[in-house]
Amino acid sequence: MLKDILKMIKNEKYISKSKIAKNLNTTEDVVEQAFSQLYSMGYIKIENTKDCSHKCNGCAFASLCNKVPLNTIIITEKGEKILDN
Amino acid sequence: MNTIALVGNPNCGKTTLFNALTGSNQRVGNWPGVTVEKKEGNFKFKDQIYTVIDLPGIYSLGSFSEDEIIARNYIISGNPDVVINVVDATNIERNLYLTTQLLEMGTKVVVALNMIDEAETKNIEIDIKTLSEKLGAPVIPTVASKKKGIENLISKAVELINKDMDYKAHISYGQNIDKEIENIKKFLENKNLDYSRQWIAIKVLEGDKEILNMIKEKDEEAYNSLDDMLAKHNLENLELEIVDKRYEFINSITSSAVRKPKENIVTLTDKIDSIITHKYFGLPIFALIMFIVFQLTFAIGQDLLGGIVGSGLEILGEKIESLLVTINAADWIVSFVIDGIFGGIGTVIEFVPLILVLYTLMGLLEDSGYMARAAYIMDNLMRRLGLQGKTFISMIIGFGCNVPGVMATRTLDNKKDKMIAILINPFMSCGARIPIYLVFISAFFSDNGGLVLFLLYALGIVVALIMAKIFSKTLFKGETSYFIMELPPYRIPTASNVLRNMWDNVSEFLKRAGTTIFAVVTILWVLAMLPIGVEPYSQSSILGRIGTAIAPIFKPAGYGTWQAAVGLFSGIAAKEAVVAILGMVYAGVEEGTELVKAIQSAFTPLSAASFMVMTLLYTPCAATLGVIKKETNSYKWTLFSAVYSFAVAWILSVIIYQVGRLIGLS
Repeated sequence: MLKDILKMIKNEKYISKSKIAKNLNTTEDVVEQAFSQLYSMGYIKIENTKDCSHKCNGCAFASLCNKVPLNTIIITEKGEKILDN
Repeated sequence: MNTIALVGNPNCGKTTLFNALTGSNQRVGNWPGVTVEKKEGNFKFKDQIYTVIDLPGIYSLGSFSEDEIIARNYIISGNPDVVINVVDATNIERNLYLTTQLLEMGTKVVVALNMIDEAETKNIEIDIKTLSEKLGAPVIPTVASKKKGIENLISKAVELINKDMDYKAHISYGQNIDKEIENIKKFLENKNLDYSRQWIAIKVLEGDKEILNMIKEKDEEAYNSLDDMLAKHNLENLELEIVDKRYEFINSITSSAVRKPKENIVTLTDKIDSIITHKYFGLPIFALIMFIVFQLTFAIGQDLLGGIVGSGLEILGEKIESLLVTINAADWIVSFVIDGIFGGIGTVIEFVPLILVLYTLMGLLEDSGYMARAAYIMDNLMRRLGLQGKTFISMIIGFGCNVPGVMATRTLDNKKDKMIAILINPFMSCGARIPIYLVFISAFFSDNGGLVLFLLYALGIVVALIMAKIFSKTLFKGETSYFIMELPPYRIPTASNVLRNMWDNVSEFLKRAGTTIFAVVTILWVLAMLPIGVEPYSQSSILGRIGTAIAPIFKPAGYGTWQAAVGLFSGIAAKEAVVAILGMVYAGVEEGTELVKAIQSAFTPLSAASFMVMTLLYTPCAATLGVIKKETNSYKWTLFSAVYSFAVAWILSVIIYQVGRLIGLS
């Protein structure tokens, strides 16, 4: 299943956990767990625009940044290697 | 005294069960050496007292988190006589991963199939007998919140304490891995490692560092021999294969023991996304939505609420002026307060209602989950242009403020992509530029305010994309890397989130008006008053002379006045300062003149359009330049950013003005 998810990440432009769950005939919670396992094992990197610790030098609109709840998932070198095998 | 450990996923009802078992007989402390809470309690069953330990909520028994390590170490050290694994019956697939690992450890396990009532409500049918057989462990249905099944559960757990439990949940990891497990088990046969050899063998093949270190500490010779054995394998592959096989095992159990009602295959989010993120319609829909947002901003912010703040400030200004005159305040104080503060900062504050409406609408889009889609749509466009897709994230953030927008480029791994993203980010129209557009729109384009604002934002994106394409073909050439976005489901925006978002922006805006803009206005006000003896705010003042020196540069663009030049100059300190300075210098020219009226007499619609394009694209503010220096670690690129953006802005501004004149616009 984890390898299937990695393949989907590589082949899709965007992904939703519900879509993966549907394709793998499982639940979104299981997919959520699989994502954390892939992350913990270092196969993917997850970046979240909400996790911004940048100081915005007092910009008037600083608080607007990082409001878009956007996760990006990147396959790491380790992940790429396993897909090539 | 026998000990029972409770283990389960977070939110499976474990603590409810712990409370049901122990009542008020609880002690709370910490696990040794860490700050993770340890809950311990006692209960009496058939005249015997048992200790219950509530282990931290975990999803697996890996070594990735403190909680996992605590739970695992506690269990493998043989502390509990039996483990009650609390499983959420409504989410059985996910919960069984931990169960599988517990059984692999050779631990005595009783499964408490909790929240069985909720599973029934959701029409989830679980064949408990089959589940128990497949797992090789007793399964007891419970409803901990209603104390149902607890007696039966305790009875089974106590029974197991005095019985041996065989490892029955045999997962086949495939021929090769199974063979290696057997080899390692054989190798470990005479080693003094205490724990289940099957489990250690699996963990070794998974490359579990904690377990490998534990072996090293106990028997270095055995560790070295194991290391030689493992050198033959690609451990990274095995780790993934082992986890995958566990999921296969769970799937085989649930397919025979669990029946769920067929869920609606196409969700509402899917249906909406099929239109909103459509290959061809996605971008026009995005443009239409943004157009509506800008139209509503003007319809509500200006037509309905406009003037409220302005009138309030005017009345306040008049009262303060008469008060200052009454108390015989010095002329320079009156000038500073009325022209500097009210004429300058007051002009910026007048636009609060429009900003309030704009950010309420943007908050609605963000909270609904649409903005993430908008980002996806933009990404698609960028990829079609052959650009690094991830750049769009920093662009979207740049719409709020270019400083975090530039900082967000840190996530780009490729240096070339990062440089492009940094250089194009200032073209994203940050919120601080809005008051400038609003003044000029109010002066000349009030009937089409929304459209003009929309076109300005769109122009910023188009220029950014063109420059990115040019840079990627000339200065920087790089490969695109794989990444995907996770789109959150749509949800109905909550009033609290939207209002908080709006308040955050408005309050920050006001705070900024009272600090940075105030400082810029004060400095430029002093320059407008000096040297002593000249007419304040005149061309002879230091400010006037600076403006006069710069003004010829802007003549071909249609606004070669010293006031416009000073306004643009001040914008390099902070973009909001442009309006404040224009307000101050025009207020100074003619007492009581409203900025909009002054703009109408100093500009034409064509030169106003040209000026707005200039402010959209020209040199980033000092804070953004500072962060560009920090991120590129280069004065050369910082200077390049300042100069090339000015050049792009100037060229476009001149083209608009000169072409406009050629075709007869004024």
